[in-house]
Amino acid sequence: MEPIEIGLIVSGGLLVLVLLGMRVAFAAGLAGLVGLIWIFWAKKNYGADDFGWALSVAVKTAGQVPHSKISSQALSLIPTFILIGYLAYYAGLTKALFEAAKRWLAWVPGGLAVATVFATAGFAAVSGASVATSAVFARIAIPEMLAIGYDKRFAAGVVAAGGTLASLIPPSAILVIYAIIVEQDVGKLLLAGFIPGAFSALIYGLLIIGLALTIRGFGPAVRGFTWKERIVSLPPVLPIFFVVITIILFVYNPFGGDAWGTPTEGGAIGAFVVFLMAVFRGMRWPQLKDALLETAKLSVMIFTIIWGVLIYVRFLGFADLPGAFADWITSLTMSPILILVCILLAYAVLGMFMDAIGMLLLTLPVVYPAVMALNGGEAVSAADSTFGMSGPMCAIWFGILVVKMAEFCLITPPIGLNCFVVAGVREDLSVQDVFKGVTPFFIADAITIALLVAFPAIVLWLPMRV
Amino acid sequence: MAGSSLVLSDDSTLSKIDRGLYRLETLMALLSGLAVFALMLLAVVSVSGRNFFNQPLPGYVDWIEQAMPLIAFLGVAYVQRNGAHIRMDIVAGALSGRTLYLVELITTFAILVLMVLMVWGSWSHFLRSFDFAAPLWSRDSSMDIALPIWPAKLLAPIAFAVLCLRLCLQIWAYGLAFWRNEERPVAVPLIADAATQAAMEAEHVSGHDD
Amino acid sequence: TEWNVSLWGKRRAFTEHVEKLAELVSQKTNGGFTLNLSYGGLSKNRENLDGISIGAFEMAQFCAGYHRDKNPSITVLELPFLGVDSLEKEREISMALYKHPAAVKDLARWNATLLMPSPLPQYNLVGVGDAPKSLGDFDGLTVRATGGIGAAMKSVGAVPTSMSATEVRQAIDSGVVKAVAFAPHAHMSFGVIESGNWWTTNLNPGTVNCPVVVNTDALNALSDEERDALMSSIDEALDHYIDNYNNKTMKAWGPALEERGIEQVTFTQEEIDAFREAAAAPAAAAWVEENGARGLPAQELYDFVLEQINQGS
Ligand code: NA
Ligand code: NA
Repeated sequence: MEPIEIGLIVSGGLLVLVLLGMRVAFAAGLAGLVGLIWIFWAKKNYGADDFGWALSVAVKTAGQVPHSKISSQALSLIPTFILIGYLAYYAGLTKALFEAAKRWLAWVPGGLAVATVFATAGFAAVSGASVATSAVFARIAIPEMLAIGYDKRFAAGVVAAGGTLASLIPPSAILVIYAIIVEQDVGKLLLAGFIPGAFSALIYGLLIIGLALTIRGFGPAVRGFTWKERIVSLPPVLPIFFVVITIILFVYNPFGGDAWGTPTEGGAIGAFVVFLMAVFRGMRWPQLKDALLETAKLSVMIFTIIWGVLIYVRFLGFADLPGAFADWITSLTMSPILILVCILLAYAVLGMFMDAIGMLLLTLPVVYPAVMALNGGEAVSAADSTFGMSGPMCAIWFGILVVKMAEFCLITPPIGLNCFVVAGVREDLSVQDVFKGVTPFFIADAITIALLVAFPAIVLWLPMRV
Repeated sequence: MAGSSLVLSDDSTLSKIDRGLYRLETLMALLSGLAVFALMLLAVVSVSGRNFFNQPLPGYVDWIEQAMPLIAFLGVAYVQRNGAHIRMDIVAGALSGRTLYLVELITTFAILVLMVLMVWGSWSHFLRSFDFAAPLWSRDSSMDIALPIWPAKLLAPIAFAVLCLRLCLQIWAYGLAFWRNEERPVAVPLIADAATQAAMEAEHVSGHDD
Repeated sequence: TEWNVSLWGKRRAFTEHVEKLAELVSQKTNGGFTLNLSYGGLSKNRENLDGISIGAFEMAQFCAGYHRDKNPSITVLELPFLGVDSLEKEREISMALYKHPAAVKDLARWNATLLMPSPLPQYNLVGVGDAPKSLGDFDGLTVRATGGIGAAMKSVGAVPTSMSATEVRQAIDSGVVKAVAFAPHAHMSFGVIESGNWWTTNLNPGTVNCPVVVNTDALNALSDEERDALMSSIDEALDHYIDNYNNKTMKAWGPALEERGIEQVTFTQEEIDAFREAAAAPAAAAWVEENGARGLPAQELYDFVLEQINQGS
């Protein structure tokens, strides 16, 4: 049997294991290991005596992967970003943000919902994970919206959708994972998430204002805050700006001088600042221990998927499946932009059933080389390329598109994790309620994605300047 | 995708062993969290060293690479105990009783097969970097300041072995649940309905602000 | 017979000899013996020796400095200021060392046989900020330099910092380092020259040694015809590599510097001699002592290399 056929069969087997409910990390690892055994045994023409050799070589090859792939400096950003989120929570930054957003923004139609969107966008700047953001704001924002007569389903939808901003706006664990799979500059990718993230928030805000203007009694504005009240709401929020500015300055210095360090260092310094704040706000060992255990749990979960999937990817390398898929994609006669749109739609479908990180890790090793080939290769110049951008810029653009798709999947039924979390926090809301309330935001997300596809400059303007 | 789940306990031997092992697993997970914290402090030292004393931390990257396995591997059994390794539970969520226990038994056994092989593979990876006759017992060293790599490599088979223990315990528990057709099996993560599960996830990030 | 070959990165000047070898071997055996080149799919570059030892693939490339303890014997060629001044010479000396019993034995621990080097020219610095005019200006300069070159830079007061090649661009843009030591092809492919504004033409502190190895069992399992096809192609593959590096990469290098207005800094012979004085002897002595403790005939290896270098000139 040809390695590519083995590759396809094993990939099918992996899908069955995942559907059966085997933990994704281990299903991928097992599929990869079985695939490696098969490939090595096939190389010896399935001789009965050679099975032991094939088993041993496959096991030793797979056994290298966890240590070899995990000990990377770039990956160290992930636990750091997760830690920041938990510490920011203990530093009381979430409540302060919502209060400030309310006093400054709630005078527009649909005011409190608009304020919630921008508060989640602000928290996104210190939180690396979407689910955590939704959970926090479900507690803070929904009660206030209900108190002034918002539809409870819509209030829940706002929070579920707002949470997704955390993965585009840096810091973002998922952007780091993308950068590592495709071996691109982490700093540039993080920077590239800024404008699309803010842009998504803006589209959300406009959508809410539009709805409030057309539907009577939809979301009353909240007026009457004095300038004094507005001003005093700002100081408690300043630490967020401090953290954001710190992280930016470590990636890129807009004033023309040297940046202060690497993204790895920026993330860590940001975490340290938030840690000091949390201590100042009364965090002690029991809370810190809780934050550390939760950070460990989430980090280990992510790293286990990473090494499990990378065993499978190592097997794909031996089967040369990514090469074959790229050849196939580039041989298609469809227009390249149509192929890209089909790939994004496939992610929308897949994302209904899978979690974002697992989805990206499983698919990107095959899909990413194909997209790069479609654009004309890794080293192509903007002038010679299909999509009008150089290889590295295409990598960034596609990364932001894919992450936005993955975020979109957090609010789509049947498995929209953010919606589950919001429903879980609020006992008066069912999952169906939240899915219903979040529906308008599908439209907003579809518009955002279409605009990002049509106008890559929204994504690339900032990274091109670095 | 399921995150956290519930684990029940009673005063059976099985449950006692479960809780005993859980104490070890929690300790290892906490070490992993402390390693994240150490990483943060390391960056502070490195950045201030470079900017204020023009003296960067020698081998900063090498030290990060040494810390990563601590973070990534030590908690692996803790996460399995809590059922927090993500999975799709569309199928498993629709099953109940003996059918559910059987499916769980099979997938848990498949993980055990993988992890036993991974203990073998990662142990041999460790052995290739270890040499009793060499200075610092090292046969593989980091790029910049030549730290021996074998201690970091050794963490993988150790953590994976603890995970194997946990998996054996879970197989035992699912087997028992299947045999007795238990209604409330102990020592294994139960699939909570989506709402309960989300409430548990939310618990960790709430309760402080109000 | 089909062999898998583990390389990394992309096809570039640094891998041209392996590409050529694959072409020649297939030609000579009428496609009966093929080399399947994989760029990064089979292993991480720092684990290529592990993969060879396991038998996961049959041929691989790596650099000695990635893991000193895995291959102490050949790190002798990474010592600063050995005085190698051309790719041809680098090739000759590497081939001689690869046949030395101590090196053969060292790599045999990995079930590996050294096939050929990937000769690289002397490293030099590309940097940002004020160009150094004399050795004194290196004092306090943060520089990305590893191994022997790092040690050499330290001896004149520079501050060597570590990072992987992929983080270098970010580091120089962000001021984490002010200068980077690389061979010209790497200065180009990792984008250092896009940021830098000066380049040292003749510091020449040393280079790295990156052999191509094969799995010894797989080599022995080849038929006589196949082994002949492989071994007889090495010279031609290396000729092609060196020709390509000298006539394409190095030819592109000068114009690339001029295009970007990069200042070329040339040091006087006295300065270079002083640098060598400060760096070479202490580094060599440290290397001999450290590797002697490892049970390697370190002094013998060092003398052997010096002898080879002096022979030709
Ligand atoms: Na974020
Ligand atoms: Na979904």
